[in-house]
Amino acid sequence: MDFDNSKPIYLQIVDFFYENILVKEWQEGTRIPSVREVAMMVEVNPNTAIRAFNHLQDLEVIYNKRGIGYFVSDNGYTKVLEIKRREFLEQNLPDVFKKMGLLGISFEQLKNAYNQHKNEKK
Amino acid sequence: MLTANNLYFNYPTSRPVLKAINLELKPGNIYGLFGKNGEGKSTLIKIMTGLLFPKAGNCTFKGKPTQKRGPELLQDIFLIPEEFELPSVSIKAFEYINSVFYPSFSKEQFYGLLEEFQLQPRQLISTLSFGQKKKVLIAFGIATNTQLLLMDEPTNGLDIPSKSQFRKVMASSVDEGKCIVVSTHQVRDLHSLINHVMILNNAQVIFDHSLDQVTQALWFGRASNQEEVIYSEGAFGGKSLLQRTDQDESEVDLELLFNGVLHETQKINQLIDKKGHGSKV
Amino acid sequence: MVQRFDFNRVRQFVKRDLILLRGTFSTGIFVAIILVFLFCLFNMMWDKQLGLEEFYGIFALVYLPLGLLFTFSLFREFGNPKTNALYLALPVSSLERLVAKWLVSTLVYTIVFSVVALLIAILALIFGIVLFGADFNVPTLFSTSYINIVAIYLFVQPVFMVGAMSFSKNKIGKTLLSLGIALLCFLLLNFLLYAMFNHSLGVFAEDGLGSVAFGKASTQFSIFGQWFYGLIFGPLMLVVAYFKMVEKEV
Repeated sequence: MDFDNSKPIYLQIVDFFYENILVKEWQEGTRIPSVREVAMMVEVNPNTAIRAFNHLQDLEVIYNKRGIGYFVSDNGYTKVLEIKRREFLEQNLPDVFKKMGLLGISFEQLKNAYNQHKNEKK
Repeated sequence: MLTANNLYFNYPTSRPVLKAINLELKPGNIYGLFGKNGEGKSTLIKIMTGLLFPKAGNCTFKGKPTQKRGPELLQDIFLIPEEFELPSVSIKAFEYINSVFYPSFSKEQFYGLLEEFQLQPRQLISTLSFGQKKKVLIAFGIATNTQLLLMDEPTNGLDIPSKSQFRKVMASSVDEGKCIVVSTHQVRDLHSLINHVMILNNAQVIFDHSLDQVTQALWFGRASNQEEVIYSEGAFGGKSLLQRTDQDESEVDLELLFNGVLHETQKINQLIDKKGHGSKV
Repeated sequence: MVQRFDFNRVRQFVKRDLILLRGTFSTGIFVAIILVFLFCLFNMMWDKQLGLEEFYGIFALVYLPLGLLFTFSLFREFGNPKTNALYLALPVSSLERLVAKWLVSTLVYTIVFSVVALLIAILALIFGIVLFGADFNVPTLFSTSYINIVAIYLFVQPVFMVGAMSFSKNKIGKTLLSLGIALLCFLLLNFLLYAMFNHSLGVFAEDGLGSVAFGKASTQFSIFGQWFYGLIFGPLMLVVAYFKMVEKEV
């Protein structure tokens, strides 16, 4: 895994988890790799991996079955969706708006671009 | 676990290599020992292993001086030197004659790591490249499961894929009871593994903080206000180190931290100490 | 600090040395076989027999130098700055290290060499009988001459062990040189001691440099003298070697 230089590595690991859950690579209620396995996978200090696991546990995206391992929560997918939506609305969108202001792009132009993108996909 | 107390060292007829070194290593950590070439990193590591004797002060492991080289201490210390020669026997024979001395040695782990490093037990060590020999020694060192594992420039001589293998192997081998010290001048190779930074400069330890402390007190990234910048490099204020006030946590840029500490030692240490006292962690 | 002496570790260490040096060891034995065989054969060409004392002469001629060479090669790992870090960091106490080295270079070496030399001598004898019709007599190791040769080795070998540990280059030459100087000093000391104790007996009355005194000083050892020098060359050197091991830094 390549690391973005500014974001703390543990948060990048969290993102890696979100992605796996969103693309349903890790289904709800199924077991996910252990702390050690994740640390190895992304080549980080296990302490950093533990921090990512704790963070996700606090957000109730995953849970720990003592002695067995970590599992994706039963409503894990919805939780992640919620978190990522909020992240988009609160962090990514303001950035886009700021850039639009800076470059003088109107909302109409944005709407057109969006519709065009949607049509292309169809 | 390992303590250095007001340690001094110099080679015959040379300037002091180490001056007034005070350190305490605790289990569960991977320490990065950084310093420019020739700043005494290897010397310090050899003193920790009991291979060199301090001229003043002492270095103790579990309360006993390492220079006595008692077997009960050495059973829990393994050193991977920067430069070494291995005997011209097969990897398997090397394991056979040396592993018996380490009570916690795991054959399973050793041969597992060899596989990870794409080496065959039957290969003759004399036919291997230096990087491969280093891998044999790294695998052996990890498999001894000593409480203290000292590595002097472990990534020297490893190619890029091997460095990645090395990080994987390291990530899998740390646990609560182990303490690993990695000395390097190639700060980049290990940035995701270490969680405590020690910097040697001018024969002294000028920096000794955990990365948690560092992230609490400092912020790394693109500075919006040039006046707050403590240290920066690269064009356009691209990489800057500043005091963290209300910013989100940022990832530590070890190279920037290292260079920053060399330039602004006092300022950076003060910031970290202030933060440490303020929040009483 | 009291360290528990663990004989099992010594045993493992001996095994380690033998495996690491199996190349040197087998080459040495090979050379020994050839030398002993040829010397025995040549010896029989003259008088058509291999006397027991002649056999011991050949034995000592090969056994002593080869043993000393072997001692030096045993300390290669200890002396090489690229290998001694790994060697010294192995969890074995200094005493155990030294005992292991000593056992390999004396006990193991002597047993192996004796057996090989004996077998080769018998083989050479058979050849001698066939080729030159030599007399048949069985070479044996059960004699005082054999014990004397081994004893000389045991007392001289520690000196070379210290030499192997002290010098980093030209070890053999430097050791021999130091030994020569030491012997010269002892000879002088001997002479002085002899003169001090015996001057009243008129040994200096004769011409020259007190030739009788000098001659006696270099040839005769009193019981006390034998013990004195035996102690210096044997056990004392082992003690020195022990401290060399303890104080070795890389």
